[in-house]
Parts: sequence; structure tokens; C-alpha cells
Amino acid sequence: MSITPSHYQLTVTALQWLSADTFELRFDRPEGFSYEPGQKIGFRHQDVYRDYTLLGPPQAPELAICARRLDQGRFTPLLAAARPGDRFEVSAPSGYFTFQSASRPAVFIASGTGITPFVAFTRAGVRGFELLHGARAAAELYYSRELAPAARRYVPCLSAEPSARTYPLTFHGHVTQYLAQALPAGIYDFYLCGPGDMIREAIQIIDARFDGSRVFSELFY
Amino acid sequence: MSIYTRTGDQGKTSLFSGERLYKDNIRVRAYGEVDELNAVVGLLAAVLPAGCDETARQLARIQSDLFHVGGWLAAVPGSEARQRLTAITPEFSGRIETWIDAMQNHLPELKVFILPGGHPGAAQAHVARTVGRRAERAVIALVRQEETAQADPSLSAVVMFLNRLSDYFFVLARYLNKKAGVPDTSWNS
Ligand SMILES: Cc1cc2nc3c(=O)[nH]c(=O)nc-3n(C[C@H](O)[C@H](O)[C@H](O)COP(=O)(O)OP(=O)(O)OC[C@H]3O[C@@H](n4cnc5c(N)ncnc54)[C@H](O)[C@@H]3O)c2cc1C
Repeated sequence: MSITPSHYQLTVTALQWLSADTFELRFDRPEGFSYEPGQKIGFRHQDVYRDYTLLGPPQAPELAICARRLDQGRFTPLLAAARPGDRFEVSAPSGYFTFQSASRPAVFIASGTGITPFVAFTRAGVRGFELLHGARAAAELYYSRELAPAARRYVPCLSAEPSARTYPLTFHGHVTQYLAQALPAGIYDFYLCGPGDMIREAIQIIDARFDGSRVFSELFY
Repeated sequence: MSIYTRTGDQGKTSLFSGERLYKDNIRVRAYGEVDELNAVVGLLAAVLPAGCDETARQLARIQSDLFHVGGWLAAVPGSEARQRLTAITPEFSGRIETWIDAMQNHLPELKVFILPGGHPGAAQAHVARTVGRRAERAVIALVRQEETAQADPSLSAVVMFLNRLSDYFFVLARYLNKKAGVPDTSWNS
């Protein structure tokens, strides 16, 4: 019988800034560490406990997360200051926000760093989904270069940059506005990830416009 | 992380397998009753008489098993979500039977009705018994409704487990009174 540890020590290998406030952090992969795409690990620092979704791919020799540094945040400034060789204690991967294959069309809805589980799905080979990728500006559409070709429809929803048009289907407004106005009526499997306000609003619209759909959600904060 | 997601303010909730249901739906009720039973077992564990370590361990196991049962009920039959969960098997009730037998070896045969009560732990075990019966009724209602729509043989193991659990709490109430030196009060009709 093999015993799965409840905690791991992760050693930082690299930190890369994706924009002025958002970065990718990579770690050595401890022996025996395995997870399902969409699962997260919990970082503990003093009395602070914060979850971060693993980006994948699940068989890669390194582990990676993507986070946004919040100036007033209790944990992300510390994470953003990490250097190669630094160690963090994390909980074993857990969580149920994973992709469930189904006959209905899958619609992924992300805002901000809520894109991370969808990067994990894509890196594990999930294809053919529609992705509403919410960001303030085109420069914050992290991982769009790998997400767009994997999606059946890739719809960047830009809330604060009215003129940018980097992708043909670019929508100007919030992901929830796209959901309320532009997504054709139908029965879907919705996967929602991001802040609570977005998830609440999206679920209300789904109940009203897409009755009979399934909803899977992951609340980030 | 905030506990008030406010996503359920319109009266609906999401199943573990993704479906959106009204909170008075029979399936939501069923796992809600199991959740209540689990809370009641938690209280029971907190008021056990001294020297009941074995019972404390059993209750911890029951709470964990009730979590599995709640999760199982919160996903529809045949869903991919269910494949990721611990299936409920007859072993769940088998464990309970062993514990009932062990306690009964220490107890005299019961010839009269007894009033639910006694030591706080025993009184709470009776509460767990009755809440368990309600959970059982809720699951049976679900079974009967689903029979026509989508057969779900795994639910028979859930019904068996809940049924056995109520028997367990009855015997446990007597056992705890005995341990605490509180006599059972018989019913003088
Ligand atoms: C299951 C799960 C998975 C998660 N995965 C990720 C992930 O992959 N990447 C990631 O960046 N975060 C993720 N989070 C959020 C993360 O756990 C932290 O909450 C976040 O990084 C803020 O931590 P902090 O201590 O710096 O800020 P805190 O001190 O907790 O918060 C400061 C303030 O900022 C707000 N806030 C929190 N996060 C954001 C944000 N991203 N943008 C704007 N405002 C915010 C909070 O509501 C709070 O008011 C996840 C959360 C959960 C529950």
C-alpha cells in the first residue's frame, strides 16, 4: 500500500512576470506528486492559507502556478518575491473542479487569474470548448496563445479597453454581459472560475437563459 | 475564502454533478438530512461520557462515512462526478453491525420500552437515531422517485447503512447510560 503525503515541500525554480502584476511561478516536482488537471495546492505561511491552481501539464517535470500580486494582499507580495531555491510548504493537490466529458457543448468562463484551471484542462488535451476569457485589457489575456487554438470559439471579453481587437471574436464588456447578450440559447456544461461576483452573476444568467444546463464553479475570492 | 457565496439566493443550488436544482428538490433534501445527521453525530461525540474512546473512534468513522453518503447523493447516477467519489457499498453497514454486536454483548436483553434520555450522551444518541430515521425516509423517497426515472441500485446500500445506523444509535444510547451509570427509564404506560 502506498501512502500519499498530505504535505509537500516545493522548491522554486523560476519566476516569470506575464504583466506588471501577474506572474508564473515554477517549482521542482517532488517525487510521487500527481494531480488531476484543475486541482489546486494550498500554501501555508504563518496563519495565512491560500490556494493556487496547478497549470499543468500534469506529467511535466516542473509544477507551475500563475498568480496576481495584490499590493495590499497578505500572501501574494511574498509569493511574488520568491527566488529560485526558496521553499514553500503546500498541501497535497485536491479539489473537484475538473473537466467532465459530456455530449453537451462546454463553455468555460474565466475572469482574471481564474483562467488557470482552463490552462490546465487545455494542457491535458481538452479541446472543442468555447472560452469566454475576461480581462481588463488585451495584455492581460494570459495564455491566450495556447488557449485560442484549442478552443472551438475563443472570445476575449475586455472590460476596460474599448478599441483593442487582437482576436476576431473580441467582445467589449464583461464575460457576464457576453453571456446575457451574445451566447446563443441552448443547454451547455458551464465551467466558471474567478471572483465571487462574476460567478454569482453568471449563475443567475444561466438559470434565466440556459435552463437545463449544468454548472461547475470554482470561486477564487 | 468567504463562506457566503450568495450563489443560492434565488433558491437553487448546484449538484456535485453540475445540475441546477431547487433547494426543496427531493435529492437536495436527502443530502441535507444526511448533513443534519452528521452535525448531530458531532454533538454526540462532544458529550460522550468519560472512557468511551472506542465509541469516539466509531463516531469519527461514521461522520466520515456520512460525508461520503452526502457526496454520493449530491451527484446523479451515471455522472462522471460520481466516478470520482467513494461508492457506498454494503461494507458501510457491515461495520455498523459489528459495532452493534459488540455493544450488545455488554447489555441485558430489553423487555420493556425505554424513554429516550438519561446521560446527555445517551439522550443525544436518541436524537441521532431519530434524525437518522428522517434521513432514511428522505433517501427512500428519492429511491421511489428515481425508480421510475433512472434506477440507482447504489442507493439500496445507502438505505441499508442509514437503517443500521439508527439501530446502532439505539443500542449506543443504552450502552452509554450503562457506562455512565445512569439507569434507563422504562415506559410505564
Ligand atoms: C480553489 C482556489 C484556487 C485559486 N487559484 C488561484 C490561482 O490559480 N491564481 C490566483 O492568482 N489566485 C488563485 N486563488 C486566489 C488565491 O488563493 C488568493 O486568494 C489570492 O492570490 C489573494 O491572496 P492575498 O493573500 O495576496 O490577498 P488577500 O489578503 O487574501 O486579499 C486582498 C484583497 O484582494 C481581493 N483579491 C483576491 N484575489 C484577487 C485577484 N486575483 N484580483 C483582484 N482582487 C483580488 C480580496 O477579495 C481581498 O479583498 C484561488 C483561490 C481558491 C479558493
